[in-house]
Amino acid sequence: MTSGSPVTFWYGCNVLRHGDIIHSCLDILRALGYDPSPVGGPDYCCGTVKDANQTTAGGMATRTVGRLNQRAAPVIAWCPSCHSHMHDFMEKGNDRQFDMTYLVDLLHASRDKLAPLLVHLVPMRVMLHKHIGFNELVPVNRMVPELLSMIPGVEVVDGDYLAPGYMCASFAILPKALDDIHANTVRAAKASGADAVVTTFHQCYREIVGLDAAGATAVYNYIQLLARSMGLPYEDEYKAWKRAGDGATQLIGAERIAKVGIEFYERAVLPELKKRPNLSK
Amino acid sequence: MSDRPVIGQRLKEFQQSEIERILGACTQCGKCFEVCPMAQYSKAPAADGKAVVPGVLAVLRGEAGSPEALGWIGVCTRSGVCVPACPENVDPKMMMRLARMTALGGRELPKQIDVKQDPDYFNRVRAFAKLQLTDDELKEWT
Repeated sequence: MTSGSPVTFWYGCNVLRHGDIIHSCLDILRALGYDPSPVGGPDYCCGTVKDANQTTAGGMATRTVGRLNQRAAPVIAWCPSCHSHMHDFMEKGNDRQFDMTYLVDLLHASRDKLAPLLVHLVPMRVMLHKHIGFNELVPVNRMVPELLSMIPGVEVVDGDYLAPGYMCASFAILPKALDDIHANTVRAAKASGADAVVTTFHQCYREIVGLDAAGATAVYNYIQLLARSMGLPYEDEYKAWKRAGDGATQLIGAERIAKVGIEFYERAVLPELKKRPNLSK
Repeated sequence: MSDRPVIGQRLKEFQQSEIERILGACTQCGKCFEVCPMAQYSKAPAADGKAVVPGVLAVLRGEAGSPEALGWIGVCTRSGVCVPACPENVDPKMMMRLARMTALGGRELPKQIDVKQDPDYFNRVRAFAKLQLTDDELKEWT
């Protein structure tokens, strides 16, 4: 039973790869005095992935705005794609009846409440993995380093690299550009003396954590470092699976794989976990 | 005739009104292309933005885009540096987004670019959810 202020935590779709991030966000929101109800996955998709079919995209937007309206609570968005798609398109074609903010915005505005919760030392020199885009909507490239600087032991160093786009997942279909992002991220981390690269978005984490698996640099999401400093217990299983490659099958275990189906796991899940960045440049 | 609303009709009307605004405001100066950090990755690189932007506007009108315009549309990843670069407040990021939707065939016009679709996209999301969340969380959170 909680007496916090009810909010809807709209986490998006692909962050479902990272249960630790979702669980940590919920615990952080509770610690800040909210009572978050998480919603996401394909049934709450914003429709941004359906550029090639605007009838489908429009239907998804109408359904999701309607469902969020029914919840009658302010919405805190996690996903930058969902957040920008709501502002750019979804609310233009539907009547949004809820207030909405982005998690980084809320955490940054709650620094006075967040600071006393960050009690555990996290000795680490970190460089934020930054993109050019999205910052006009939420200045994450300024806010996230300010949040990270509140963690005891964390030193934030400036990297000299700003990746194009607004997040890494868009580059899955542009391999040369993604190779450049990987190479420049490693170069900038080394040049800045960082122990680790920290991402703001899960879409970047999914791609950049491959650098960790390849031994090029340690990689975290900013929520994972806040959670660690708060003493939250969630394990980053995605990173463990990614590092393990083929060994992920053993880590995940037959019981969980059976829920997915072994054929689908081997065809569509395991290749992602085995994929490594091209660092040959 | 049915009274049922057409799916996504208001969104389509918004998109059409944005297209008309953009077509009316853009002077084809090419500044948006010149500042774009992704132009270098185009399949049909161009040296001059003035030669590329007319092809983007053609796509928005439902006409065939030039190879240079389609190449640029195919690599737009929404960096947004084009927005402050535009002297006419066209919002080239919106221009490129709508051009991409159109060129992909998303606005019921002929497809002009082919971007590899991931047929497992949502099923992969669902699979990772099953690996990461409990049955109760799956039921209540997704």
